[in-house]
Parts: sequence; structure tokens; C-alpha cells
Amino acid sequence: MKHIEKGAGLATAPRDFIRDLNADNLSAGVVAGIFGLSAGVIHISAGTAAGLPQEFTLLWVISYLMINGLFGLFLPAYYRLPLPMANSIPGALLFAAIIPIVGLNEALGATLIAGAIALVVGLAGWMSLVMRLIPMPIVMGMVAGILLKFGTNMVMPLQNALVPATIMILSFFFAARYLRRVPPLVVTLLVGVGYMALSGADFSSVTFTFKLPEFIMPAFTLEAFLAYGLPLALILVGMETPAGVGLVKGMGYKSAPANAITALGGFGTMVSAFFNLHSTCIAAPMTGICSGPEAGSHDKRWVAAVIVGIIFVTAAPFYGFVFSLIEAMPSYFIAIIAGLALLRVISSAMHMTFSGKHEVGAMFSFLIAVSGIQIFGIGSSFWALVLGAGLSMLVEFRDFDFSRESRSSRGEAAAAR
Amino acid sequence: MSLLKDASLPAVTAGFVAVLISYAGPLAIFFQAAQSAEISPQMMSSWVWAISIGAAVSGIGLSLWLRVPVVTAWSAPGTALLVTLFPELSLNEAVGAYLTAALIVFAVGVSGSFDRIVALIPPGIAAAMMAGILFQFGVGVFTAMEGAPALALGMLTAYLVFKRLFPRYFLVLLLMVGIVLAVGLEGASLAGVSWQLATPQVIRPEWTLHATLSLALPLALVSLTGQFLPGMAILRGAGYHTQARPILTVTGLVSLPMALFGGITTVVAAITAALCTGKAAHPDPGKRYTAGVANGIFYLLGALFSGSIVLLFTSLPVTFVALLAGLALIGAITSNLSAAAAEKQHLEASIITFLVTASGMSLLGLGSAFWGVVIGCAAYLILHRPFVLLRGASAAVDKQ
Repeated sequence: MKHIEKGAGLATAPRDFIRDLNADNLSAGVVAGIFGLSAGVIHISAGTAAGLPQEFTLLWVISYLMINGLFGLFLPAYYRLPLPMANSIPGALLFAAIIPIVGLNEALGATLIAGAIALVVGLAGWMSLVMRLIPMPIVMGMVAGILLKFGTNMVMPLQNALVPATIMILSFFFAARYLRRVPPLVVTLLVGVGYMALSGADFSSVTFTFKLPEFIMPAFTLEAFLAYGLPLALILVGMETPAGVGLVKGMGYKSAPANAITALGGFGTMVSAFFNLHSTCIAAPMTGICSGPEAGSHDKRWVAAVIVGIIFVTAAPFYGFVFSLIEAMPSYFIAIIAGLALLRVISSAMHMTFSGKHEVGAMFSFLIAVSGIQIFGIGSSFWALVLGAGLSMLVEFRDFDFSRESRSSRGEAAAAR
Repeated sequence: MSLLKDASLPAVTAGFVAVLISYAGPLAIFFQAAQSAEISPQMMSSWVWAISIGAAVSGIGLSLWLRVPVVTAWSAPGTALLVTLFPELSLNEAVGAYLTAALIVFAVGVSGSFDRIVALIPPGIAAAMMAGILFQFGVGVFTAMEGAPALALGMLTAYLVFKRLFPRYFLVLLLMVGIVLAVGLEGASLAGVSWQLATPQVIRPEWTLHATLSLALPLALVSLTGQFLPGMAILRGAGYHTQARPILTVTGLVSLPMALFGGITTVVAAITAALCTGKAAHPDPGKRYTAGVANGIFYLLGALFSGSIVLLFTSLPVTFVALLAGLALIGAITSNLSAAAAEKQHLEASIITFLVTASGMSLLGLGSAFWGVVIGCAAYLILHRPFVLLRGASAAVDKQ
């Protein structure tokens, strides 16, 4: 356990929580919490796109909020740092897409292994090694490729539902520009539901329900591991943790516990596997909200992250209401909401894909993931990573950190300084 | 005659290779457009004749006049646009749109405001639209893997090897290896390929609002941003301080008659220009214009035998053409996506432009490239800019 960072501990956390609570971190926590709740729309959309049964998708979202929320109470309180927990969005899309191919229990088995990998990487302190073998642009190329469909599906409704689609997309743009404290997605949701209500949508199926996560037994197959477990492990270790840690460090928290975040996320993901959920990890967008200047005084921002956890855990059993509300909407509604929810993610993924290094590998990874091809029954996400990294080694080896050229050029740069 | 005295073997070779590359790669896209338009081989050879003559006349004329290696070709992103518009768009409408686009290029040339007009379009949005248009060809390489895995893998491997070892000539080598593979693996037969002279066919132009918005405007836009802009940059990068005005004016004028035979807009070459403007063409920059002239002469030869070129392409499998076009464009897709995604200032607007263009949606009969720019610019104005369209405003944004 020598790589796991020490924190302030949990014993005095409840008392400190009350002491440090203020208007700033409360509002930041609420904003981030609402953002997290609205992210459930992405899960619903991914589930619908993959043709999964509604009961499962609802259970999935409830587990997301409940399990991620519980871990999200613990991590920020222990370290007194703004580290909200949620799950991996690219992971969610992979998960939904793989279930029809390998089966739910098998997908969850792969989740369990992916969690174990993240746990081991975190405990052993291997974060930097993994990052070097599969470079970020190639991972992000795969992620951008999976996400792309949601982006293009967002604009398709312009063809046959022009008015509501235009209103929703415009409301998102204007809210993003002018309403800094309200998540633009929430505005779009309200505007969209308002439009549907005015145009006479049928809300009779909207109901209040109370539901808790359900236990399920994972099963293990190699196929599920290669097509989904391995990419998920790479996403968790190679993308989610660095993104979250990078954000927190950027906000001036130098002691962000990278290994602990990876290990706890791995453990959380293993727990998730028994409850229809695909991952637990640090949530980059919410981290941005909770750790930013808007969350008030620097050493009290951890409270905002704990509030996110509280909101998640309390809201989880009642998510059926939101779910039934969305189900009552026409299908393009969810396509637009999901596309807008992912717009920033797609943008930053593409920015990281084409950031300069590993150009060929990243491009091929992106194209392969978009094409959705299956070779030997293994999904395109796997081939995107493997062929992307392989081609990159062939064509642009010097871009790898461990290549000799790269080292000597770095040496020269250091000497020049 | 000074032309013969100035010419050298490397200059002639550079011109030859530039023509060969144009026929090996970008022509595959034009051929895909012809396939989606379901036209006869005779009509296709008229198209090839027209674009070759357009490139030959404008290239030879400009190179001799300006004493600069001006390499011209046809608008490759423009042909990519065609693939999605046919067959809903009629040939007559397409020719009308070619004429309109040529007039726009000509007008921009005469006005002398090329650099200013190009600067008006946010760079990320122009690049994102280009990437969106070309994107489907790149994905096509991998979807081809399911239909013809051996051919696809073979050509992909050849692409990587040649790109690594002979980056300059990879397209020509890829074409040759691809033909061998197509004959060997897919059972294509080249028996029908024979020497055949071109028979140009006149198409009556027809103007419609739909074709103007869906084809003419995007065609002019992608030609300006995707061909003239990089083409001029290559010329200037090689040390030739040529004005854009004569080049745009001449190519615009030459495009007009050629359009009637099915030739899409003639433009400055972007993919092959660097072959003729660099040191390898001629050590003396003052004599490199001979490479541009040689390039034009080989285009004349290509025009003469465009019937044979079409026969060659028609006797090869559709998958082969798709693979060749996709692999030829991967470089262009990468550089355009990089340019679009690197613009942090208006990243979301660029990505929206790309998403809309790549989605292939159509609304009110207008294609996705048009809507990509419209929606992208709307997003740009709402998300990233104050509501002032004046130049001084950008300085204010930078300060924030």
C-alpha cells in the first residue's frame, strides 16, 4: 500500500463538513450534482440505441447514482479535496453497445476484470507506465470514434423535426454563452419538455417510482474482455484518472492522490460489476465545477464534491421519474439531448486526438472506431487501440516516450534551456 | 526557345509524377461520383477529358506567363461533394453549378480580395467542413475490410510501407500494387483496356436554386479554402511571391468552357503542387516553371487517352476504387481534422460543423456541407463571439 497517498481521514469529516459548508461550495455542489443527474440521459440514450430493455437501463442509471454517489461521499471527505466520483461516459457507451453482442453477465464480468486491473495499477503505482505504452491521442481517437455517432445523430432530427430541434439546440448555445451557473443541458431539457407540453405530448405514462440497485452475478469470457474489458481498463486508467487529476492539479491542488484515485476507482468498478454498472471513477466535468474558483475558498471546495455524493445517493431511488419523463418524449428528443450532453466531450476528445503526436495512429484509431467493424467477433474499439498503437509504432515510432530519438531530443531541449 | 533550354529531366519527371498522382488518387473520387451518377463510360471519359484539358491549358499558360511552376488540377473536395449529391442532382444542374462556381472563382480573382475573403471564414470551420466532406472516404477504407478483407489489408499494408519509405510517390506505387492485388485476389480482368481516344460530349447547363446552394456555393468555398489557399501557400512557401489574382482569374476562365463537357472547376493543385515547386524539380527557382509546363503537357496526353483511363477504372472492382480514394485522402482528412480540432478558440463550433457535414443530413433539399457551414457559423457567433462582425472586435475577444 506504499503508493497510496495519506489523507486527512474520516473521523472528523462530518464535523468539518458542517464547519466548511458555505454558499459558494453549496451552489457549486448543487450545480455539479444536477449536471451528474442529467448525465443519466446519456445512459438512457446509449441503452435505447443498443436496444436494451427499459428495466435494465433504469437499474443501470440508479446504480450509477447510488454506487458512484457512495464512493463520492468517501473520497473527497478522506482527502479533503474536491474529487467527485461518477462513471466513465465513453465506458458507458462501450458497455451499452457490447451487451447485445456478449450478454449482460459477460459484460459485467469484463467490468470486474477492468476494475481489478485499475486497482492493481493504482496499488502498484504504475500509472505512468501504462500511459506510455498506449499514447493518449490513440486512446482518445478511439473514444472520439465511439462518440461520433451520438454527435451526428443529434443533427439528423433537423431533417424531420426542424422546429423543436432548432429550439433545443439554440437554447443550449445561448445558455452555454449567457447562463454561466446553470448547466446548459438542464436549460435545454426544460425548454424541450416545455415545447413538448405545449405541442400536446402525452405525459400520462410519467410516474413516481422507488427502486434500489439489484445484485447480479458476473460471468467471464475472453471475447467480452478483449472487446470491452480491456478498452474500459485503458479508459479508466489512461483517460479518466489523468483527466480528473489534471483538472484538480490545474486548480492548485498539488497533492492530488493519483494512485489512490485509480485504486479506489478500480475497487469501485469491481463493486459496480455486481450491480449492473460499468464503472466508478473520478468525474472530470464535475471535478471542474467543484474545484474551480466558483466553489469558493480553496480549502473548503471539498465540501462541494461531498454534496454531489449526497445528491446522487438521495436522488438515485427516484430516478424512475426522470426516466419515465424522457421515455414519454419522442425519440429525436433524446438524440438531441444526448448529442448536446456529449458535445464538449466530443470536442475535447477530438482536440486530444489531433494534438500533434501519433498523428497516423490516432487517425486510424478514430476511423476504425467510427467504422464499427468486427474482426474475429471482436469489436472495433479493441482494433482501434491495437491497430492504432501498432501502426503508430511502425510509422511514427519517435513519438513514443520510450523511443531513443524522443529521449535524445528531450535531452537536447533540456540542454537548450 | 528558352523553354527547351530551361527544361531539365528532373523538372519533366516532377511534372509527370504530379499528373500520375492526380490520376492515381483524386481521380478515384471523381470516378466514385460518376458511379453514383450512373453515367456511361463515354460520358465519364468526357469528364476526364475536360478536367485534364482544363488543368493542361491553365497550367501551361500560367507557368509560361508568370515564369512560376503553377500546377493546376481539378477540385478534389468538389468531386467528393458530388458523390453524395448524385443521382438526385441531374447532370445539367451539376454543369450549371460548375459554371456558377467558376464565375465566383473568377470574380474573387478579379476583385483581388482572395486573401481577405479567406480570412473572413473562421479557419477551424473551413477545415472542419473539408474534413466532414472527405470523412466518409476514410471510413470507407475500413468498411471495405468486411467485404474484401484481403484486398483491403493488402492495400492498407502497401499504403503504410510506401508512405514510410517513399512518401512522395506512395500514391502511384499504391495504384500499381492495388491493380495487381485486384487482379490477383478479386479476379478483375484488364482485358477490356485498350487505347481509346476521348470523345467529348456537351452537356446543356441548367440553373436551379437547389443546385446553386447545394453544389455551386460549397464547391466555390471548398475550392477556395481547400485548393487555392493551400496551393498559394505552397507557392509562397517555395519563395514565389505570386499574386493570387492572375491564377484565380485564369483558372476561373478556363473552367467555364470545360464545365460544358462535365469538367469540375479547375483549381491550383494542393496535393501535387509541392512536387514541382521544390528543389527536386530544378535547383534554379527561376527555371522550375518548366516543371509546371511539363505537368500541363502530360495532362494533354492524359486528355487524349481519357477513354483508356476510364476503361482501366471501370474494369477494376468498386471496392478497389473506394480503397484507393480513401487511402489517398487520409492525409488530407488528418490535416483538416487537426486544423479544426487545434483551434481552441472556437472548438465547439468547428466540431459542430464537422458533425453536421459528416452526418450526411439534408434539409430543404440542401446538402450537409452547406448546413455544416451555416450551423457551424451560427454556433460560432452564439458561442464564441460578441455580436459584432467588424474586424476590430476580434482584438477585443483576444484581450478577454
